[in-house]
Amino acid sequence: MRIVVCTSVVPFVLGGGRNIVEWLEQMLRADGHEVERLYLPSVDAPDLLFQQMAAYRWIDLSSADRIICFRPPSHLIPHPKKVLWFIHHIRTFYDMWDSEHRPFPNDLKHRGIREALHAADTAALNEAHAIYANSRVVADRLRAFNGVSGEVLYPPIFQPERFHRGEFNDSIVSVCRVVPHKRQHLLIDAMRFTKSRVKLRLYGASLSPGYSAELHKQILDADVSDKVTFEDRWISEEEKAGILADCLAMAYPPEDEDSYGYPTLEAAHSWKPTLTTDDAGGVLEFVEDRVTGVVAQPDPRSLADAMDMLYAERPLARQLGENAHARIDEMNISWPHVISRVLA
Amino acid sequence: MKVLVVNNMAPFSWGGAEELAVHLRSALMEAGHESEVLRLPFQWEPATRIPSQMLMVKGLELVNVDRVIALKFPAYLIRHRAKTLWLLHQYRQAYDLYEAGMSNISKGEQGESIRAAIRAGDDEAFGECERIFVNSEVTGDRLARFSGVRGEVLRPPLNDPELFVGGPSENYIFAGGRVNAMKRQHILLEALALTSSKVRLVIAGPPDDPADASRLRQLVEEHGLGDRVLLDLGFLPRATVAQYVNRAAAIACLPYDEDSLSYVAMEGAAAGKPLLTTTDSGGVLGLVRHLETGWLADPSPGSIAAGLEALAGETPQTIAMGQSARELWLQLGSSWPHVVDRLLS
Repeated sequence: MRIVVCTSVVPFVLGGGRNIVEWLEQMLRADGHEVERLYLPSVDAPDLLFQQMAAYRWIDLSSADRIICFRPPSHLIPHPKKVLWFIHHIRTFYDMWDSEHRPFPNDLKHRGIREALHAADTAALNEAHAIYANSRVVADRLRAFNGVSGEVLYPPIFQPERFHRGEFNDSIVSVCRVVPHKRQHLLIDAMRFTKSRVKLRLYGASLSPGYSAELHKQILDADVSDKVTFEDRWISEEEKAGILADCLAMAYPPEDEDSYGYPTLEAAHSWKPTLTTDDAGGVLEFVEDRVTGVVAQPDPRSLADAMDMLYAERPLARQLGENAHARIDEMNISWPHVISRVLA
Repeated sequence: MKVLVVNNMAPFSWGGAEELAVHLRSALMEAGHESEVLRLPFQWEPATRIPSQMLMVKGLELVNVDRVIALKFPAYLIRHRAKTLWLLHQYRQAYDLYEAGMSNISKGEQGESIRAAIRAGDDEAFGECERIFVNSEVTGDRLARFSGVRGEVLRPPLNDPELFVGGPSENYIFAGGRVNAMKRQHILLEALALTSSKVRLVIAGPPDDPADASRLRQLVEEHGLGDRVLLDLGFLPRATVAQYVNRAAAIACLPYDEDSLSYVAMEGAAAGKPLLTTTDSGGVLGLVRHLETGWLADPSPGSIAAGLEALAGETPQTIAMGQSARELWLQLGSSWPHVVDRLLS
C-alpha cells in the first residue's frame, strides 16, 4: 500500500511529535508498504491559523492509497482514506482556553476564532476514515469538544527490545527532557525529606538552560548533593537502557500530561515501576498506585515517603515492576496492534 | 545558521532533485550549519489544480529559519525574508514546453489563465529572492527569456563522484536515469532495431509510471530485440547504477531539451565514457562534442543508430573520447563546498 504519514512541525525542533511519526513510518516500511513522510511547517499564532489551514486544505495527496495524520492542522489534508492518529488539539483554543496558559484575551475576536476553529476541526474529523487518539485524555477531549469518538491507540516506543531487566540498585531515576512541566524540581525538593539512603539520579538535556541552572542551584541550596545527581546532557538510547535496567524505579511526575509518557513505558519495558503524582494526567492511565507504580501527591513530603517506601520494600518494587511490564500487553501497546488498526 | 532547503515532493517518486536536496543539506551541515529539507507536495495533474497548490505554498508560515534555499516551482513561492533561489527549473509546461506543444495546460482561455497565474507567481517569487542561481545556462536563458531575470550559473556537483571510477568496457551502451517519454528511451530502442546485431543496450532506472515501462517492453518485443537489450526497470541502488556505468562502452542520454548537463551524462563523463546525445537535448550538449567526447546525432532513429554503431565497441577512438569527456567534466564540474559558499554568499 502507498501511505503518506503527515504532521506539522516547527523546523529544527526535533523529538516529541516527530518520533511517533518516524517510528510508524519505519514500522509500516518493515510491514512492506511504500511510505512517504510529509512534514509541513506551522505556527500557532491565532491571526495566521486560517491561512495555514487553507494551505493544508489545498494539499493534493491523491497518489497515496491512504494518509495517516498526526498533529494539527495536518488533519485538514483532504483524502478519501484519511486516518487520524490525533495527539492534541491546538490546546489554547480547547482545554487551555480557561487557563493561565492562554496567551491572548477572551475577547470577541478570539472567541470568533475559537468557534470557527472548532467548526473546521469537527468537519475535518468527521470526514476521516478512522480516528484514533494517543490517550484517553485526548479521546475524551475529542468527544467533549468535537462530538466525535476516537479509539484509543497507545503509541509504543521504538524497538522496545532494547530495554532489559537487571538488578534493583538504590537509585530512583528520571530520564527525560529537562523542562519545568516535567517537574524535576519537585523531585529534588522531595529529597530534602527522605529518611532512607535512597538516591535520585536525574538525566537529560534541557531546552531551556535557565531551568537546568536552577536545578543545579537547587541541589546545592537544599544541601542534597550527597544523594542527588543531575547529568545535564543528551542520553543515548543505549545508555538509557543501561540506566533503567538496574534502577530502583523511574520518577515521572509531569504536570497534567496528555499521555502516559515514554519514560513510563521505557521503565515498564525494563521491568521497573514508575513513581508519579495524582495530577500527572495521562500517566495515570498506565500507573496505578501500588499496582504498576506509586502515585504520590504533588508535594515533596508525599514523594519522599514514596521514595523511602520503594527503597525499603524491594520485593514490592520488584512486584510493581513485574506488573508494569505485564501492563504493556494488557493495554495492547504494541506495533503489530498499531499497524493493524491504522490500516483497518 | 539554520538553513531550510525547500523542494517539491512528488509522493512516492525520488529522483535527481531529491538527491540534490539531500546532498545540499549534508554539505550545509558539513560547513557548520543546521539544515533540514522541507518537501512540499506538488501534483501537476490536472493542471487546473496548479493555482491552488501555489496558494498552498504561499499560505505556509515559516518560523525558526534563518535562510531558505528554494529549488523548484512551486516550492520557491514560499514566503521568507531571506530567500535564495537555486533554480533547477520553472514549471516548463507553462513556458518553453507550452510553446513546443508539450504541455498539460490546454490552449484557450482556461489554459491562458493558468499560465498567467504561474507567471505572476513566478514574477513575485523571483522579486522576493535575495539571490538567484540557476543550475545551467539553459535554465538561466529560459529564466531571462520568460521572466526577465538573470541568475548566476551554479552547476550541481555529482552527489557521489567516488562511485564513478570507470573500468573496462563490457561492450554495451548504457542508458540510465528516470524512464519517461521526455527522456526518450523509446527512440533508443527504435534506433537499436536499425543497428547490426553486435550492438547491445542496457536501460535501467525507475519508470515514471507503468505505461512508460510497458512501452519499452513492447518495443523490445516488436523489434525482436530480446537478446540484445536488458531492461532493468525500477529504482536501483546507487552502487548498481555505478556498476552499469563503469562497465559500459558508452552512455546514451537523449532527453528532450534537458535543463542541465544531466546526471546521467555527468556520471558517464566522470567514469570516462563517451557520450551519445541528440542535437535537441539542451544542457547535455555542454558535455558532448561530436567525435571529441562522444557522438551528436539528430533526434531520429536512423541518426542515433549510427552513433550506437560507432560507440558500441571499444576502439582507440572511443577510449580517447571517454578520456576527453572526463577531462571536460572535470573542467566544468563544481564541488559541494563551492556550492555552499556561493549560495550563502
